[in-house]
Amino acid sequence: MKTYLFLLFSLLFSAQAFTQEAYFCKKELGTLPILQSGRIKPLYVHASEAIKSLTGKTTVDNLSAVEAYCLLSLNGMGLPTTINLKAKIEHVEAIKFFGLADGEHFIEFEKLIAREEEIQSEARSGKGDDSYKKAISKHLDALFLYKDIKNGNNWLLADVQGTSLNWLPLTAYLTEEKVVAQKALTPLDPFMPVLFKSKEAYDKAFKDKYMIEYYYAKAGLPTVSMLLSILALACLVLFKNIKISLTFTGLSIVTQLVLITLRIIISGRAPITNMYETVLFSGTGSLLLGVVLGHFKQEKLYVYMGLAYNVCTMMMINFANGMLTATISPLVPVLRDNFWLSTHVTTIILSYGALALSWVLANTVLIKKKFGKIELKEELISAEIIYTTLKWGTVLLAAGIILGGVWADYSWGRFWGWDPKETWSLIVLCFYMAILHGRYTSWIRTDRFMTFTAGAFMSVMMAWFGVNYILASGLHSYGFSQGGALFLGSFFAIQILILILTLNKRVESKETSAEHT
Amino acid sequence: MKKLSNIDWNQIERFLGSLKFAVTIILLFTIAMIIGTFLESYYGTDFANRTVYKTFAFMLIQFGMLTSIIFAAFLRLPPKKRLYGFYVIHSGLVIIGVGSVITYVAGVDGTINLAPNEPSREVTLSKDVLRFTYPDSGKRVTSELPYTAFKKEINDEYDGIKILEYIPFAEGKFVWTDSINNYPTTTPLHSSKYHFKNAFAASDILLTLHPEASTEFQSTQAMGPLTFNYMPAGLAKCFESPSVSGIFLWNSETAECFTPEEKKLKVNATSAGNRFVVLPVNINDTADKKLLTFFPDFSPYPVDTSFQVDQKSIIRIFSKKIFEEKPNLFLFGKKVAFFSKADQKWSILDIDLKGKGVTLPWMGAEIFLTDHQDKLVPFNLPQAIVPIQKNGSIIKGDLRAVRLEILGKEYWASNYSPLSVAIGGKKMIVEVTKESLTLPFEIALTQFKMDKDPGTNNPASYESFVKLFSDGKMSTHHVFMNNPLKHLGYTFYQASYSQDNAGNYNSTLAVNVDQGRFLKYLGSLMLVIGAIWHYNLNRKKKGAKTS
Repeated sequence: MKTYLFLLFSLLFSAQAFTQEAYFCKKELGTLPILQSGRIKPLYVHASEAIKSLTGKTTVDNLSAVEAYCLLSLNGMGLPTTINLKAKIEHVEAIKFFGLADGEHFIEFEKLIAREEEIQSEARSGKGDDSYKKAISKHLDALFLYKDIKNGNNWLLADVQGTSLNWLPLTAYLTEEKVVAQKALTPLDPFMPVLFKSKEAYDKAFKDKYMIEYYYAKAGLPTVSMLLSILALACLVLFKNIKISLTFTGLSIVTQLVLITLRIIISGRAPITNMYETVLFSGTGSLLLGVVLGHFKQEKLYVYMGLAYNVCTMMMINFANGMLTATISPLVPVLRDNFWLSTHVTTIILSYGALALSWVLANTVLIKKKFGKIELKEELISAEIIYTTLKWGTVLLAAGIILGGVWADYSWGRFWGWDPKETWSLIVLCFYMAILHGRYTSWIRTDRFMTFTAGAFMSVMMAWFGVNYILASGLHSYGFSQGGALFLGSFFAIQILILILTLNKRVESKETSAEHT
Repeated sequence: MKKLSNIDWNQIERFLGSLKFAVTIILLFTIAMIIGTFLESYYGTDFANRTVYKTFAFMLIQFGMLTSIIFAAFLRLPPKKRLYGFYVIHSGLVIIGVGSVITYVAGVDGTINLAPNEPSREVTLSKDVLRFTYPDSGKRVTSELPYTAFKKEINDEYDGIKILEYIPFAEGKFVWTDSINNYPTTTPLHSSKYHFKNAFAASDILLTLHPEASTEFQSTQAMGPLTFNYMPAGLAKCFESPSVSGIFLWNSETAECFTPEEKKLKVNATSAGNRFVVLPVNINDTADKKLLTFFPDFSPYPVDTSFQVDQKSIIRIFSKKIFEEKPNLFLFGKKVAFFSKADQKWSILDIDLKGKGVTLPWMGAEIFLTDHQDKLVPFNLPQAIVPIQKNGSIIKGDLRAVRLEILGKEYWASNYSPLSVAIGGKKMIVEVTKESLTLPFEIALTQFKMDKDPGTNNPASYESFVKLFSDGKMSTHHVFMNNPLKHLGYTFYQASYSQDNAGNYNSTLAVNVDQGRFLKYLGSLMLVIGAIWHYNLNRKKKGAKTS
């Protein structure tokens, strides 16, 4: 069968010299439904993710991810293609292991295949520090994925028979019979119609809901909303034009809400099940909160806080791919409860968003005071605003922790179990409670209040990211080359630096605060 | 010493209700928790519980929090309208605290493991206990072990056994020790240490026949498709003998053996072609004979006249034929036997202690004898360590061991190796285990179901179908994530699952009784309502002020 197909391929494509290499692999294939990691999605999404995880980019030379993925899969049909994917090696020790020259970061997967056993035994030997081990096993996984695609087994196509649905790998789906039958109808290109028949049949029997994900992935909403947020922030801070800023803010909020809504529709669950989604949600939530509070209190500082934080989260969404993956995957069984997911996690993430607002303003005041100028009135107003956001943040956090306890009680049989995530959320609450109590009774002065608020957000980051990226892996398995740990480490370092640099105005501010109390 | 009446109670009240005390105790609490989470991340949940969360000191801090909360509210009495929210918050917290104390004192938090169709009523709790079982009478006695993270002297005594020391996290350090019991000289007791290597892996294997060896050491061990079978040295003779049938019979107590040919026994075949051997033996040293019938290609044990397999028989049969299909290595201490499929024959070779290895017919594998003992016991002596966790389970230090003294001799009992002893003719098994609770009803698993995400091996749901037998009535239930079973105050949650050797799925349910639940929920509700009330009032107050 393969020989026949091979002949057919050669005959068809040698006539069209310019397309010789691409065979039938065209971008249009991106709309085909495929099954991957337990979900049905368009090929475009899977091919982009797969090619990105293999090479670090979503294009290969001039080819799109779909074309590259398709060409690589054709090897499984016995069709040699000259597509040449290269793995990106970043870890210094790994570069040595793969024998690359200094400054060289890429190695062909074909070369890695020849060394598979060696890589495997290196991964098993447990040599080197933890970041090295993780790097090696990451490259091993990539190699397996590469081989899986190259064998034609990774690309699963829908085979619909009446109402029953089977998923066949490309090699089993693209049979000689189908191609020959189609060749009678469209002699020049029998392959595309055969492949698209799987889409037609699937759409007819099960609807084309997966196409939402296609348009979602194509739309690039994260980038659009990031740009809108940056523009809004720039208008507010640089040009002091609140009206234009609010327009952009509104547009950004709408884009983000569409983005979140699409994710809800695609995944069928609350949009807060992984780091990517929580970051996105907290950014959007705090921007909304900032705008609403700003409207009621007639204070544009709220909008500023919301925008500044939103820009941070949107940057993370767009650029921190190593740490936050946009992939929508099935949930672990225990989280499959939309009611609790959408109440407990949403409350917690909103509270983090509200606390982030206080963090933005506290840092702004600290920096302004140290390196620029700030009027006392503005400082006091800021303190008042921070106090308001802290109240929102802590009430939401307390409610979220309690909801979590009730959920845990309901599904695991215990209200509280000193699980690290639980414990850290309580630690956050304790820090902020200490600050709020101190502030309420005027024990903590305004300048110290700023310092404490800015510093306390580190506990939020620890509860939010640290538990997953530092604590979860334990003593022996976190290296700072890890995306998440590196990010957190830098965050803590910068925040602590800011706190130290802004600390030395104590005496002066003591006087000023004394004047005004 | 001051008289009680002379102490300034108001001052103490003011101190306990003061902000400074509140902030200090909150920070203490927070620091302890931070330490706890890091300890848990490095050394595991159990260790963190034993060093932080469930210690007296940590409970004292929590009690301090409660005191602070109560006195802060007390000092602000009589009630002021603007503080209503504050009172509600603080009473809510106190009620949560009371609820937690009730749960701590009276609640049950354990697990029950259900094997398919085996009714069970044993719930495993978290406390460590030392359990003494008398197999003859079925009597069981447990003695509580201290809840500690580090090794602790005990100095307790029960029925002639001195309990000396408990190590909650230990690791076995390999030693050869003397036998505790005496054995007839003919009993095979030897142990050997081999080094096995092939192109991909190398490992040391310790195989033993000694009944007192630590349970990690057995007479068989599997490594991938290959099985190592450790045999009494005396059997090598029969293995070597050129018997046509490839069958020999042996005595498991003395390791004496003979082939059917030697005793002129006939190897017959049933109409279905199954081979069998009939051996006449004397009953209890009398002249009376009974017939033992063996089907060597099915079982090492004989069947009696009613075709019941007698697993207690000390006379057993061995058929080389059934070990030819899969890779099997037979080790007799200083001899090695295997079947080579390429040559279609058995080889029996000598292997020298610390000498040259033997090449095996599986992908260039080789085996070396590195140590051999005829009488000594291979033993993992428990040593206290700090445990290490990885991905939520303890990878080092999950041995819990108790050191005992019986008639002046030292023994160890652990969660992996129970100790069997006979004191004054009384048999007794001593083991370290978890405290258990017997339910007033029975539960049996009829089916465990695990759905997977399409096209993957990732579980999508776990479900247990169970039967519950209570008061002579039977009811069926379906337990799955977020759908627990409630009965007589007990609640059962789908917690985990495991697979037994036969590949059957067992289901683990969490079992819970929580009398403090209502209070905790009530307190939580008050806390949230109080917080909203408090901040709302403040907002109005401020609003009024500015206008």
